[in-house]
Amino acid sequence: MHEDLTFPMGKFPAVLLGDLRYSRNHMWSRAVEGRLRFGFTAYAIRLMQDVYFLDWHVSAGDAIERLQEIGHIETSKAVSDLFAPVKGTIVEFNAELLKDPSAINVDNYHAGWLFDLTTDALTDDAEATMSCPEYYAFLDQNWEKTQNSLKGHM
Amino acid sequence: MSRAKLTVVISQAQGKNPAKRALEESLAAALIMESGLDVSIVPYLYDLHPDHTGRMFLESISGDMAVLSWMYPRAAFWLLDRDKIKGHFGETRLKPPVDEDDGEAPPPKGIGALDVPDRQIYCIDLRDANNHASFVEEVLRIAAECRERRAARQPAALPAMIELGIRKASDPPVETPVFSPEQLLQTPDRRWYPVIDYSRCTNCMECIDFCLFGVYGVDTLDRIMVDNQDSCKKGCPACSRVCPEHAIIFPDFKTPAIAGAAVGPIGNLKIDLTKLFGGGDALAIAALERDRELVADGRGAVGLTVGIPKRQADKAPAVKDDLDSLMDSLDALEL
Repeated sequence: MHEDLTFPMGKFPAVLLGDLRYSRNHMWSRAVEGRLRFGFTAYAIRLMQDVYFLDWHVSAGDAIERLQEIGHIETSKAVSDLFAPVKGTIVEFNAELLKDPSAINVDNYHAGWLFDLTTDALTDDAEATMSCPEYYAFLDQNWEKTQNSLKGHM
Repeated sequence: MSRAKLTVVISQAQGKNPAKRALEESLAAALIMESGLDVSIVPYLYDLHPDHTGRMFLESISGDMAVLSWMYPRAAFWLLDRDKIKGHFGETRLKPPVDEDDGEAPPPKGIGALDVPDRQIYCIDLRDANNHASFVEEVLRIAAECRERRAARQPAALPAMIELGIRKASDPPVETPVFSPEQLLQTPDRRWYPVIDYSRCTNCMECIDFCLFGVYGVDTLDRIMVDNQDSCKKGCPACSRVCPEHAIIFPDFKTPAIAGAAVGPIGNLKIDLTKLFGGGDALAIAALERDRELVADGRGAVGLTVGIPKRQADKAPAVKDDLDSLMDSLDALEL
């Protein structure tokens, strides 16, 4: 168990919960009833801002490969395809978000969860996910580059 | 007085989605009740062959138009432009501008459209609202805007010759041939081809170098054009990924940036975070998509050896634009 951390994105404090695992595509994961639940980190949400539209290209029950394209998101500032953070089988998508995606912005670490999956990949598999301090270090390492290059577009 | 009317065209969705069909029908019913509008319904714009009655109808319209369809406004506008149904891009107000805190967008650096007649074409995306009232309101706003523009421009306009003759009430309108609703609505076969946004296209010819299926050609002025639309490979959006200006649209592709959403390296537009969120390299994906189609045609895969490296080899780092630098730095993240 790690402490919560706050990654400073300029003036915006991106809170990273200490008890979660993180993947390089800026999703968190948490074990929930034998499944792994995923959602966007505060870092990802700060880049995207208000979510307008969320669409999944796979269905519950589908087996997915790591970094397979699984959906698409449109926000006030950005668009992006979405990719599977780990290999596994999708169990369920958060149906509430498909009606109203605002929970992603309001409560990204809880009500704004995206999907649950089952996987053989261990939750602490270093290949797939990072601890909170590791994710912080990953963000820190790349922040200057990301910031410089995104600046003109934000 | 029908010259002063705004032509409103509702382009149906592909397939028979009941929710979409219901919106189209309630919208048509509401618009027909309004004065000053000529309302018609045609099938999905993208699928209309040159000999489809719906296409001939569109070609016969000479004044301002509002086109409501199930695709992004850019896609609809440039699709019509390719079909020689040209005009100036009419700004619609259904959606708020993407970004209010950025400065002015730089002027577009594309080569632009040619032979644009003096009229506006407003394209409205039917996905932008889910009740017909918002669309009716916007169409009426557009109709008023067109009236004002006409009034301001030619206060003492002469009536057109065609209106000098005496017409019986039962006569069809003279300026447009009559098309029966049955003919207009004949379901066309589905099509798949790229649409070039000439406000962005710089005529760099990367698409014609990349595509190995003979889709692209040049016109008599050596401007790039989509020459053989139906030689394109269904589902393949590879040339769009290769285009450095995001000027190539596939209106039916699932990714908004390729389907003509307001996304790209130009000013007030949204950024594409795909690479940051785990996506691959666009050129590599494009080469894979092209190889799949080459193999399906019984030809050999060419990978990244044909029509790709020019941009990287020729360009000095100093002339990279913001998006290039963004992509480079995202590469460095090793996602």
